[in-house]
Amino acid sequence: MVQSAKPVPPTWCPGCGDFGVLAAVKRAAAELKIPTHELVLVGGIGCSGSIHNFLEINGIHALHGRLLAQAVGVKLANPSLTVVAAGGDGDGYAIGMGHFMHAFKKNASILYLVMNNETYGLTKGQASPTSQIGFEGNVEPPFHSILTALSIPAPNFIARTFSGDPKGMTAILAEALRFNREGRGFAFIEDLSPCVTYNDTYKLWREKVLDVSKLPGYDPTDRKTMFRLCLETTEQGRIPIGVMHRPKEPGHDGLEVKLVGDRPGPVRTDIGLAANLPAYEKLLSGLS
Amino acid sequence: MTTAEAQVRPIPSEAGPGETRPPMELADLSVMIGGQGGDGTLTVSDLLGRYFRKRGLYVYTSRNVLSRIRGGHADASVRSSRDPIAAVKAQVDVLVAFDNEAVEMGKAELAPHGFVLYDSTTFHVDLPSSVGFPFATLVGGPLGQPIFKNTAAYGALSVLLGFDPTMTRAVIEERFRRRGGEALEKNLKALEIGRKAALDAPGVANRYSVADGDAHDLILTTGNQAVALGFVVGGGRFFAGYPITPATEIMEYLQRYLPAFDGVVRQAEDELAAINMVIGASYAGTRVMTSTSGPGLSLMTEGIGHAGAAEVPVVVADCQRVGPSTGQPTRHEQSDLSHLANLGHGEFPRFILAPATPEDAFSITVDALNLAERWRVPVILLLDQALCQNTTTSHRFDLGSVRVDRGKRLSPEATARLQQFKVYEFTEDGVSAVAPPGTPGVWSEVTGNEHDEWGHVSVNPSNRVRQMKKRMEKMVKARDELPHARFFGPPEAKIGFIGFGNTAGPILESMRLLEAKGVAARFLEARTLYPVPVHEIDPFLKDVDVAYVVEHNYTGQFARLLRETMPWHHAKLRSILKYDGYTFRAPQILAEVKEAA
Repeated sequence: MVQSAKPVPPTWCPGCGDFGVLAAVKRAAAELKIPTHELVLVGGIGCSGSIHNFLEINGIHALHGRLLAQAVGVKLANPSLTVVAAGGDGDGYAIGMGHFMHAFKKNASILYLVMNNETYGLTKGQASPTSQIGFEGNVEPPFHSILTALSIPAPNFIARTFSGDPKGMTAILAEALRFNREGRGFAFIEDLSPCVTYNDTYKLWREKVLDVSKLPGYDPTDRKTMFRLCLETTEQGRIPIGVMHRPKEPGHDGLEVKLVGDRPGPVRTDIGLAANLPAYEKLLSGLS
Repeated sequence: MTTAEAQVRPIPSEAGPGETRPPMELADLSVMIGGQGGDGTLTVSDLLGRYFRKRGLYVYTSRNVLSRIRGGHADASVRSSRDPIAAVKAQVDVLVAFDNEAVEMGKAELAPHGFVLYDSTTFHVDLPSSVGFPFATLVGGPLGQPIFKNTAAYGALSVLLGFDPTMTRAVIEERFRRRGGEALEKNLKALEIGRKAALDAPGVANRYSVADGDAHDLILTTGNQAVALGFVVGGGRFFAGYPITPATEIMEYLQRYLPAFDGVVRQAEDELAAINMVIGASYAGTRVMTSTSGPGLSLMTEGIGHAGAAEVPVVVADCQRVGPSTGQPTRHEQSDLSHLANLGHGEFPRFILAPATPEDAFSITVDALNLAERWRVPVILLLDQALCQNTTTSHRFDLGSVRVDRGKRLSPEATARLQQFKVYEFTEDGVSAVAPPGTPGVWSEVTGNEHDEWGHVSVNPSNRVRQMKKRMEKMVKARDELPHARFFGPPEAKIGFIGFGNTAGPILESMRLLEAKGVAARFLEARTLYPVPVHEIDPFLKDVDVAYVVEHNYTGQFARLLRETMPWHHAKLRSILKYDGYTFRAPQILAEVKEAA
């Protein structure tokens, strides 16, 4: 057995919601029997983005907000890898917003896991794009990632979980990873992950979360219904959680290179001169 | 068509009326075609280029377009010569004008023996050596559309320049065959309309002649196409980019070439995403590249810094245009060098390589891919608008010299034999072995934070110093593997030129002009610009009395780098600079050389 990098002890505050995510990632990976060497986690900048340091895993510690672009690059280069991008709400919805929107369109089969604590924890508690009005002088209405995600007509898996409900979270995470590994497209999960130091919302969120699957008419294959349910729930002062979109048809994955078994992806092709010489000669003979 | 419809001006000639005037032979010919964007000036330029290639001549074409789809003045120039050329000729022999602006702009550059051929449909030219035909009207009737006026102009031009009619027609067939029957048929008709008009007008036919050359087994290509082909042949299999002039064609060529090799090309939402996508794909184990120009380079700076810190190999092609900011998108400059040499906050190694010709761009792109992976550093391909987009005759690209060196990449078998796998292991040459994710039994963490050998974030001061030295010393240790400078001219010459990229062509031509005056000069064509190849440039500077550093920017960016790294040569270095958006013409360089006065 070759010795690779060992996980380091988490640097998070005791009680941080991110511990719930860490545990759920470990459990879901074990449940799906994903070998460590085939799992890649691209972390953003912020407390949550360091999650890859605490796991036995391939990892990139990306630039602030750019984790999705790097994760898509990994996946397109080697479609046989299971790729997770993980970061916070500031990373994804502020500096990374452009890449966030386009990730739904790109529809690469990766999982994007946002740990939303409604604050910038690592820089000591400033308002973030999801902060409520009044938090640290915030005057802007909070950004709603789920409604935004539902507004982009692409066959993505969309869900919201709560760190206070580790069992529900693990189940949804495992479903998202299965969705990715079947090559069905992009999966987005926003986990409500309280910051115990700067925005301790455990109690508040426990009271406010509402499992949309319990609502009458719940149908995650119908975008219109889900948009209405999420909007209504939010307007009633509740926080909708659960699977928000699950595409009807598998294989809407026309935007991506085909999965293993079909084409191997750029990484697995022989780039040696000998293997390609006749094709190269043909390519160059086109010049005149 | 009767001659009465042609606006014929008296053509000065030594021959009297009724006499046959011998054609003037042009061994080095320059034709400029100007009009409104959409007039088809680039097509005429393309047709001429094809004809000259068939005659075994060297060809150089350039274009001057505005950053808009239609309208606005656009011109193209085609130069053909029996000798190798890689620059725009100082004077125009024949000007083809579709509007008056083309005449106003072009007449200053017209040679004393020059001639203007224009479309007289909407304007009139009052110059002694000129002839106008209403091309738009002439083709508009029989063909239903005036757009074929450019092909008619090519036809008239072929008569003026004494082209072989069969070959003139073959060029049209070659150019329009792919477009299908009707397009070909109409263009052939337009050709004949133009030819007949010129043949019927007095004093036009065979006014000039173009001698054949013997340069036959050459190709006509651009730097952008060469870079795209070099990327494929060098094993590049993942490209992400964002459309930007003058780099876009690299992405477009790769969209065409790469899928057949299981490669992936993706257009990203911006340059931030493009550079980060290639970083991800490179970490995954693929050979990658992105291409951009000034404004995109500014955005990519963040990502290139990340690649530098994380030691993830990337190749970035910078097709320089006029800056700063949006600058002049379609115009030529070499003003990104200072930025690239100091690129990013903090300090990290990078190699900046600059090819001068398409042939060299092909081989340096292969080098860049090898060097990036061998040394695990960002490699910049420093190109410029003229190299990227002007077409040049070039030797066929040589597959025999291509080599794919994946550096210290570990096979699964070699990985399995390891005791431990440290992604940032300290080694003699500063390069750590890598096993891409998916290699059984191992995993790795890469990060833009300072890190220890395992890839764990570290603030340990002695580790920081060792990791910095590990990375930075690559710029010294890689020295002999970086592309070497090329030397031209007699070694004993005391006048030196130093340049890179597109300036090589005009410099070589000005050396020929100097030689004709009995003045010997040498030229060092730098192909690695950073780290500055002191071991090549210092001996060169020792041997010459004066060295002119020729570059397209305001501050003399390469000269400044040379002064910084070789202050003892300060007094010998002089700058010849141009930053008006146009490339150097040889006489412009010559005018700055005091020793030639």
